[in-house]
Amino acid sequence: MEQTSDEIDEMFSNLLGEMDMLTQSLEVETFQLSSPKESTKEFNFSVGFKDLNESLSTLEDKDLDALMADLVADINEAEQKTLQAQKTTSDHQQKKATESLMGFETIASYEYKTSTHGITTSGPVEDVLPPPPLESELDFPLLPPPPPPPAPEPLTQEQQEAQAKTDKIKLALEKLKEAKVKKLVVKVHMNDNSTKSLMVDERQVARDVLDNLFEKTHCDCKVDWCLYEVYPELQIERFFEDHENVVEVLSDWTRDSENKMLFLEKNEKYAVFKNPQNFYLANKGKNESKEMNEKNKEALLEESFCGASVIVPELEAALYLKEDGKKSWKRRYFLLRASGIYYVPKGKTKTSRDLACFIQFENVNIYYGTQYRVKYKAPTDHCFVLKHPQIQKESQYIKYLCCDDQWTLHQWVTGIRIAKYGKTLYDNYKRAVQRAGLAARWTSLGIVEPAVSTGSSSTGAAQANGQIHHASKEFSEAPKQAEIAKEKRPNVVNNSSSAQPVIRPQKPEAKQALQPPPPPQRRSSATVSSPCLPSKAKRGSTASLSDPISFPAPPPDMGSDLPPPPPDFYEPPPDFVPPPPPSFSNSTGDLAPPLPPPPPPPPASVTSKPLPLTRKPGPPAPKRQENTGQVGETKSTGVEGGQLDFMSDLRKALNKKRGDNTS
Amino acid sequence: MPPHFSDSPEATACYRMLSLSQAGPSPETVMKSPRPGSLVEKGQINSRWLDSSLSLMTQDVQKDDELWLRFKYYTFFDLDPQYDTVRMTQLYEQARWALLLEETDCTEEETVLFAALQYHIEKLSLSTDPTDPSGDAPTLDDLDSALSSLEVKLEGGTAPTDMLENLTAIPELRETLRVFRPRKLTLKGFKPHWVVFKETSLSCYRSPEEALGEPVQQLNLKGCEVVPDVNLSGGKFCIKLLVPSREGMSEVHLRCEDEKQYARWMGACRLAARGRTMADSTYRAEVQNILTFLQQQRAGSTSGPTPSPSPAPDGAGPTWLFPPRYQKRFKPKQLTPRVLEAYQNVAQLSLTEAKMRFLKAWQALPDFGITYFVVRFKGSRRDEVLGIAPGRLLRIDLAVGDVVKTWRFSSMRQWNVNWDSRQVAIEFDEHINVAFAVVSAGCKVLHEFLGGYIFLSTRARPGPGPGPVPDEQLFHKLTGGHEAL
Repeated sequence: MEQTSDEIDEMFSNLLGEMDMLTQSLEVETFQLSSPKESTKEFNFSVGFKDLNESLSTLEDKDLDALMADLVADINEAEQKTLQAQKTTSDHQQKKATESLMGFETIASYEYKTSTHGITTSGPVEDVLPPPPLESELDFPLLPPPPPPPAPEPLTQEQQEAQAKTDKIKLALEKLKEAKVKKLVVKVHMNDNSTKSLMVDERQVARDVLDNLFEKTHCDCKVDWCLYEVYPELQIERFFEDHENVVEVLSDWTRDSENKMLFLEKNEKYAVFKNPQNFYLANKGKNESKEMNEKNKEALLEESFCGASVIVPELEAALYLKEDGKKSWKRRYFLLRASGIYYVPKGKTKTSRDLACFIQFENVNIYYGTQYRVKYKAPTDHCFVLKHPQIQKESQYIKYLCCDDQWTLHQWVTGIRIAKYGKTLYDNYKRAVQRAGLAARWTSLGIVEPAVSTGSSSTGAAQANGQIHHASKEFSEAPKQAEIAKEKRPNVVNNSSSAQPVIRPQKPEAKQALQPPPPPQRRSSATVSSPCLPSKAKRGSTASLSDPISFPAPPPDMGSDLPPPPPDFYEPPPDFVPPPPPSFSNSTGDLAPPLPPPPPPPPASVTSKPLPLTRKPGPPAPKRQENTGQVGETKSTGVEGGQLDFMSDLRKALNKKRGDNTS
Repeated sequence: MPPHFSDSPEATACYRMLSLSQAGPSPETVMKSPRPGSLVEKGQINSRWLDSSLSLMTQDVQKDDELWLRFKYYTFFDLDPQYDTVRMTQLYEQARWALLLEETDCTEEETVLFAALQYHIEKLSLSTDPTDPSGDAPTLDDLDSALSSLEVKLEGGTAPTDMLENLTAIPELRETLRVFRPRKLTLKGFKPHWVVFKETSLSCYRSPEEALGEPVQQLNLKGCEVVPDVNLSGGKFCIKLLVPSREGMSEVHLRCEDEKQYARWMGACRLAARGRTMADSTYRAEVQNILTFLQQQRAGSTSGPTPSPSPAPDGAGPTWLFPPRYQKRFKPKQLTPRVLEAYQNVAQLSLTEAKMRFLKAWQALPDFGITYFVVRFKGSRRDEVLGIAPGRLLRIDLAVGDVVKTWRFSSMRQWNVNWDSRQVAIEFDEHINVAFAVVSAGCKVLHEFLGGYIFLSTRARPGPGPGPVPDEQLFHKLTGGHEAL
C-alpha cells in the first residue's frame, strides 16, 4: 500500500516538476531569443518555415495580439483546471494518504500541452527564477560552457518594435510546436523486480532515457546498461540501440500489450567493440575467444568502422529456418553480407551470383527468441527473429532462425546489427564509454553523479542520430541541478545509494505549493523534482529515489481484488473537473459509478485525428496490473483533450483510492 | 576546381573530362570485353602492373601505346567530394567497370541497386557542369526561392516543416482505381474502387457516393513497403503495398490506368511510406522522376538502337546497366520493374551523393579490394591463391574459392624477397612464418602491393580535411625493392 502511495507521489512530483520546467523553458525562450543556441535551432528549422512565418508577419500587431490572447485564454482555462485538480487531489491526498492507489499505479499517458503553462505565470517567475543557463554554469571543467549570450546592442525605436514583433511570432510558433510534443509515462522494470515510471518525450532517444535512469538509480553507468524490450507473447526480446527514438518504438505496441521495457546490463550490447577480434578475426567454426592488445583492437575497429563504408563481419553458417506456417525447421546455408542475409539454394555454390536473398534489413529489427525449443520445437534455444517493428502478433511475415550454439547466435545478431546500423553503432558505443568514463571520474571526485549527466547532456551536442537537444530539454535539467545544489549545501553529499540523495521539501512548503494560485516561491523551490505531496513527506523520506529496492513491484495478485473501473471514468467532462462528491468517500467498495455518466468529449479532439483510438476504455484492471510495461497513448491534439486525459487519470486514481478505503 | 586545373584552358578541359562520368557502355561492348572467369584469370590481370619505380621508357612503353590508369591500392582516405571531384568520378568509373566486367562479384539484389545508381548518375551527369562551383549545391531554381530562403535566414525560422504542412492545405487524390486485396483462397481479381488518398492514409470505398461513410478498407501507409509492378508493353501499372500492422502485413494492389495516374499514386505512396504527405515539396519531383523513367524505358523498347543523348544507348531497356551474367539471365522486361523499384529509393540523391553511395556499396562487397596472385606456398604441392587486401593477406583455395587463412598487416614484422628465386618470406608476430613463390606475376608487383599497403597503414589517423602530405621517399623505399637500396 505504501509503495503504491509512493508511486502516485512520484507521478505527481514528476508532473509538477514538468510544469515548472515548462514554465521555465518558456520564460527562457523569451529571454534568449537572440542567443546563439536559439539561432542555430532556428536555422535548422528554416526549411519550409517561410510561408508560415510570412503569413504571421503579414498580420498586424493587433491581430497578433489577438492570436496570443486566444492562446492565453485556452491556456488559462487549462491551467485553472489543472490547479483545481491539484487542489482536489492534494486534499484527498491529505485525507487518505494511507489508502491504496492500485488503479493509479498503471501507466498514465497523455499528450501534454507543454506550452500552456507559464504564459500566465511568467510575470512572477521572472522575478524569482534566475535563467537556467546560469545554473548550468557550475564549474565543470570537462564540459564546454554554454554559449554566452551575445552582448545586447542598443536598438532604435523602430528596431525594437520589429524585434518585439518577431519575438511574438517566435513565441507563438514555439508554442504551436511545443504543443505537438507527445509524451509518454513509461514503466521501466529494474533487474531487482522493482519498477520506475518516467516521462519520455517523443524527442528522446534511448541514450537520453538511459541517462535519465542513471540519475534515478545511481548505478555505475557502465556501457552495458541498456533498455530492453520484451514481448512475452512472441517470446522475443532485444535491446534498444542508443540512437533509437523510444516513443516511436513504444507507439508500435498495442494498447493491451503485455510487452515490457527493462533496464538491465547486457554484455552482448557492445561486446564487438570490446573484443572486435572475436567477431572480425574469428576462425570459422571455432568459438574460442582470443586476446588482443588494445592498440590492435583500436586499429581493427578503425579499419572496420571508420573507413568509407563499414565492414560487416563475414559470417556463414548452416542455420535452421522455421518454415512458414509449419512446425518444421529446415537447415540451410546462410551468409551475411552488408546488403542482407542470403542463402545458398539447393544445388548451387556459395558464389555471390548464385546466392538467393533471404531478407534485407531496412524494414526489420532483430530480436532474440527465448525458449523456442518449447514454443516452436526449435532444434536449439539459440534463436533469433527478424520482424517489422510494428508486427505484434504471430504472423507469416516474422522470420525465425535457429543457431547451433550460443556463440553463433551472438555472432549473427551482432553482425546483423552492424549491417543494419553501421557506424551509428560505433558512435553509440563511444558515447556510452564517454558517459561511463565521466561517471566514474565524477564519482571518484566525490561529486554526486547527476552533476555529470546534467552537464553532459546540457551541452546540447548533436546526438548520434543528428537530433539536437531542444531548449526545453536542456532546461529540464535545471531542476536536477537545483537538486544537486541543494544536496551540496547541507554537506551530506553521499554517493552510496542507501543514503537519501534527494532532499524532500518540508511539509509546509509543499503544501503551499499545491494551492492555487501557485505562489512564486513555489517556482523557485519547484526545481526540486522529488515528490512534494504533503502527506507523503515523512514516509517518502524512507523511499529514496536512488534505492530501487524500496520500490518493490506490487504483488501481482493485488490488482485482481479490484473490480475493473467503469469505462465511463475515462471520459471526463470536457469543461470542468467537478469536486468529488463528499458522499463518495463513504461509499461502499463496489465502485458503482459515483458520477453521472459524463458527456462525450469535445468532438474537436477526436474527429480531427485519423486514428480512432482516442479515449478508448482501457483494459480491465486485472489485466492492466500484469501489463505493467504497457504504454497507452493519446492522439488528441486539442488543448482540452490533453488536459482532460491527464485529469481523467488522476480522477480515476482518486476514485479507486476512495473505493479501496471504504472496502 | 583545384587551382592546378585552372592554369590553362586545356587543363580546365581536362578537369571537365575527368570529373564527368562517361556515357554508359553499350551491352555489346561489355559483352565483348574480356571478363575474368576465375581466380586465376583475376590473378593474371595483376601481372600487368607497370613498375612504379622505373620510367615508362625503361619498361618499353612506346609512343601511341595505350595504357590504363587505375587505382592500385584500395584504401581511399579522405574522399571528400568537395575537393575530390576528379578522384571520386574516376573511382566511380573504376568501380562501375569492375562490376560490369564481373571482376567484383555481387548478388542479384546488389546488382539491381548498382544499376539504379548508375542510371541515376548518368541522368544527372548529363545536366551537370562540373566546373560550375554550385553544381552540386542544392539548386535554387529561381530568384524567388533564393530570396525567400534568404528571408527565412534573416527572419529566423523556428517551425519544423511538418507544422507547416498542417497549416497549409494538403493535396488529396480521389480517383477510381482497380484494387485487389490478396487473401488466402481467393482468385486474383481486381475490382474498381473509389480510392481516396489523404495525408498518409489510403481509404477504399465501393463508390464515390459511399465516400461519406465507412471505408471498405483504410490503411495508414507510414512505414509500408511500396513495390512497383509495371509491365510497359502489357500496359500494366500496378502498385503493391505491403503495410505493416500489429497482426502482420496487409497486402493491397492498386492498378492504375496509365503512366500518369500511376506516377501520381506511386509518388504519393512513396512519400507516405516515409511519413510525408503530398504537401511535401518533393512530391512533384517524385512524380516527374517516375514519369521520366517510364518514358525512357518505353522509348528504349520501341525505337530500337539509336545513338541518342539519353543515357539509354539502345533499345535493350535497362540491360546496359547490368553485367553480362545478369543480361543473360533476365529479360529486359523483368529487369525494368526491379530497377524502377530500386531507383525510387535513390532518385532523390544528388550526383555526388549517388556516386558516394555507389562507392560505399561497392566497398561493402565481400570481394572488394582483393588483389589476387597465384602462388605456391612452401611445402605445398599445388598452386594456391594469395589475396592482398587493405589490412590483410588471404590464403585462398584455388578450386573452391574459400579463404583458408587470414593474416593481418598489423601483425606483420618483416618481409623478404629473394629476387632470383622469386620467393617471398613474411614473418608475423608469434613467430608465424609464411613463404611462397609467386607464379602468376613478377615478384616486384607483389612486393609493391605489400610495401604500398604498409606505407598506407603508416599514415596518420584520417581526420577532417585533406590529410598530411604523404612521404614520397618512404613510399619508394617500401615499394622500390632492391633497386631502391
